[in-house]
Amino acid sequence: MASEKTESTFQDYLQHHLQNLVYGKLPAGYERENKDGTVEVLTNDTWTFAYNKSEVAEMGFWAFHVDTLFFSLLLGGIFLFFFTRAAKNFSLYKPTKLQTFIEMLVDFVNGVVKGTFKTGKNTLIAPMALTIFVWVLLMNLMDLVPVDLIPYPAELLGIPYLKVVPTTDLNLTAALALSVFCLYLFFSIREKGFIGFIKSITLHPFGPWMLPANLFVEVIDMLAKPLSLALRLYGNLYAGEMIFLLIAGMVAWQLSVTGIVFGVFGTMLSLIWAIFHILIVVLQAFIFMMLTVVYMNMAHEKFEQH
Amino acid sequence: MNINATLLGQMIAFGLFVWFCWKFVWPPLLAAMEERAAKIEQGLKDSEDSAKKIVEAEAESKKMITKAKSEAKKVLDNAKSQAEKIVDDAKNKANEEKDRIVGSAQSEIEKEVVNAKKSLEKDFATNVMAAAKKIISKEISSSNHEETINKSLEDFRK
Repeated sequence: MASEKTESTFQDYLQHHLQNLVYGKLPAGYERENKDGTVEVLTNDTWTFAYNKSEVAEMGFWAFHVDTLFFSLLLGGIFLFFFTRAAKNFSLYKPTKLQTFIEMLVDFVNGVVKGTFKTGKNTLIAPMALTIFVWVLLMNLMDLVPVDLIPYPAELLGIPYLKVVPTTDLNLTAALALSVFCLYLFFSIREKGFIGFIKSITLHPFGPWMLPANLFVEVIDMLAKPLSLALRLYGNLYAGEMIFLLIAGMVAWQLSVTGIVFGVFGTMLSLIWAIFHILIVVLQAFIFMMLTVVYMNMAHEKFEQH
Repeated sequence: MNINATLLGQMIAFGLFVWFCWKFVWPPLLAAMEERAAKIEQGLKDSEDSAKKIVEAEAESKKMITKAKSEAKKVLDNAKSQAEKIVDDAKNKANEEKDRIVGSAQSEIEKEVVNAKKSLEKDFATNVMAAAKKIISKEISSSNHEETINKSLEDFRK
């Protein structure tokens, strides 16, 4: 276990695994505590990795989760690499197995978009849905990698924290949800016109004589979209990761009877949860894509007087 | 858990990914898939058409064969009758020729006979005359008896 080298507890193990690798700025005069207990006072503002929670807190907003960025970009790059290659080497009559799989995905997304996005034409929706589905799916799938497989070697290399599942980072899910929300607003205004958009959030659902109530309801409804989108994915994956961590933390391989019993039991639990988690991984990717398409469809709906 | 600038970075990344997919991944893939679907549809339609055409061609060829057979029979019949006619004609001609040849031969023979008679007559007359001359020269002059001799020759001719 990653946490075995010191007298760290189960809780430390959990907290350690739930902390992203943060790169940010520590201000001059900050007292940095080294691992051996000595304190180092920074003379200048320093861009560096955070080695503990208080450093993370000190870095504030202008800091980056390097692990989230790295793995999400890597997985997105893998997605685009394989799909671009499939598009370039597309064979009409002799498809490779990979091409067949990619075609299956494209066909699936195309079917969903055709079935759900029926108002107006927009060539962006389907590729966006594909990007979301495959990218989120790939990121979620990182959850099935055993929890210590990558972070532990990384720690030996001197990387203090590492979370390999980008979708367990609220930053990522919120970024996706906010991007979708921005597009929602953009297409809403483009399709309905600014006046139409204002009308759609003020004259519903009670009619013009209840304008403030309408605005209140509609704004809540609108804001709930990105919020639920971001939190649903984040919550599901975070919880899934947490369960893997709990199982892993519970199991401490020791050469004793109880140790072995716990080890076997924990491995079984982990396996069962992983199998069940495959469902969540795919389902959450699908739901995110589906809701995005639904919201885009709503954005393209013309304002109707009820 | 804390929100920080990662959010902005991820939004930019997402935007780039979507843009890239929109420009370079989705359109060629979908176009290729649609092209194949169209080709398969066309192929199925073509094969259906050609199956129909084969049936039509079979019927046509059967018709043609029957027609050819009947025509051949006609030609054969024609040829037979023509041949019979030719043979008949040849027979008739041959008969005619035969008749003609026989006829001409007969007239030739008749002519020959007449000629032979004539020359015989002449020879005979000459011979008789010579003989009579020989005889008569001893007894009488020829001029005295010529009339009698001619008269007897006339009788001979008859």
